Amino acid sequence: MDVLPYGDSALLINFEQVVDDKINSQVIELSTLVNKLDGVDYTVPAYCSLTVGYNNIKTNFSQLSKEIKTLEVSNSKSQRSQRTVNIPVCYDSEYGLDLIELEELLDLSSKEIIKSHTEATYRVYMLGFVAGFAYMGALPEKLNSPRKNEPRLQVPKGSVGLAGLQTGIYPTDAPGGWQIIGRTPILTFDPAKELPAVLKPGDQIKFYSINKEEFESISTQVENGKYELEVSNA
Amino acid sequence: MPKIKLEFIKTGLHTSVQDLGRLGNQAYGIPVNGAMDKSSYRLANDLVGNKPGSPVLEITLIGPEIRFQGSGQIAITGANISPMINGRRVKMYNPILVNEGDRLKFGKCLRGCRSYLAVRGNWEVKKWLNSASASTVDGKELTPDSIIQEGSVISVHDSSKSVNARLFEGKKPSYSSNQTIRMIAGPEYEQLTRNTIEDLFRKSFSISQDADRMGYRLNESLVDFNPENEVISSGIVPGTIQITNSGLPIILMADGQTSGGYFRMGNVITEDLDKLAQMKPGDQLRLKLVPYHYNSSENQ
Repeated sequence: MDVLPYGDSALLINFEQVVDDKINSQVIELSTLVNKLDGVDYTVPAYCSLTVGYNNIKTNFSQLSKEIKTLEVSNSKSQRSQRTVNIPVCYDSEYGLDLIELEELLDLSSKEIIKSHTEATYRVYMLGFVAGFAYMGALPEKLNSPRKNEPRLQVPKGSVGLAGLQTGIYPTDAPGGWQIIGRTPILTFDPAKELPAVLKPGDQIKFYSINKEEFESISTQVENGKYELEVSNA
Repeated sequence: MPKIKLEFIKTGLHTSVQDLGRLGNQAYGIPVNGAMDKSSYRLANDLVGNKPGSPVLEITLIGPEIRFQGSGQIAITGANISPMINGRRVKMYNPILVNEGDRLKFGKCLRGCRSYLAVRGNWEVKKWLNSASASTVDGKELTPDSIIQEGSVISVHDSSKSVNARLFEGKKPSYSSNQTIRMIAGPEYEQLTRNTIEDLFRKSFSISQDADRMGYRLNESLVDFNPENEVISSGIVPGTIQITNSGLPIILMADGQTSGGYFRMGNVITEDLDKLAQMKPGDQLRLKLVPYHYNSSENQ
């Protein structure tokens, strides 16, 4: 674990620079502990790094890095308070804008792509890019998808995409270069809530396929505020 | 309770309500937002006796036209965009009394880029996550009052009875279109080659036309920039200087995104972020390296 200065009011903790569930668990665990230290304003947990913003009148780099180095992060694959969120996705070609293109790129049928995408369980590594956007992974190797050559100026809200070995859901309409394979009717960013991001780093995610009728019916529930996130606790 | 209303006849180039922003939500991908030049922002509120953290208007290069309904007290700090009330120039860094029907207009931007207009009292604006700052996340929905449009009206309740005018005694900042901006070496700085480092501190960079509240792009790319490793998406903070794969530096500002996968060569020190916020497209800057504890309690 390297603690590096990151401007005059932040520091960066770099873990081994790889995408790995165990390392990401440690980042998230450390984030919770660091947030309790005096003078810390915020943290930004990422795949294998933790950004820590601090008030440079209350503390400083030497002081804070000393305190951080005394914190104990478990070495075992921490599964505490881990939940699995089940997310409905309609993979109809109306929403899966790049399915046809991907069939050729991956040499798989749409059916096989959907089967693969729904079989695996993914981990939310971090939130970023736009508010509430969850970076999830890892995809099975056969779904390893190149980004689009020309990013779309606007990817519709709820779109489910692939990029490399990552999968993600666009929480709002946003520009982006991910390959879009379907759309979820649920909200992954709800500003009306105290914590607007619905998914959290460390969450386990499972997608399941729905048809267009089910998509419409869940959309209506979401609009009426009747939809409840499908969560199961490990 | 007396009330003053600001009615926007013209919006100006980019006029928004700002305060200190919504620090602490970056873990969810929510940018900090808030006033770009914090020192001018604080001073404006101070001059009218508002609490620190109160909302103000941030005005960029071309000012709005405002008609006041009711009377109250205002102050203008930051960039000099030739403010005038009823056609007469008014003094900046000075509390000003305004009356029913007065019109505030701006003229040529003489110095700086962003002007701050404080109005004494409590602002009636919708907040999101404890901040009135115009949000870059669905701002029209979340902070509708803070994105100034033609016909917008902002009401401010003024509870103080007397005018407690504070005169400005400090030194007014001087803005120049050619500045030295101090930076602290960033997480990937060590990976730069000697050639790139030499180039970095020798070059004068010009600020591109794309410079806005999200980030300042610089026009000149760095020589010999060929990073070996790709950066795995990681946190970024206002002031982070990223380099794109083609070697172009981008300095992230108040509305910047919270994470990214570009090379991070350094961070502008907090004090100089205010200076940078007053620079505009076409202005020139040089970077200067300072030690990481330059601006902190470790150095005192």
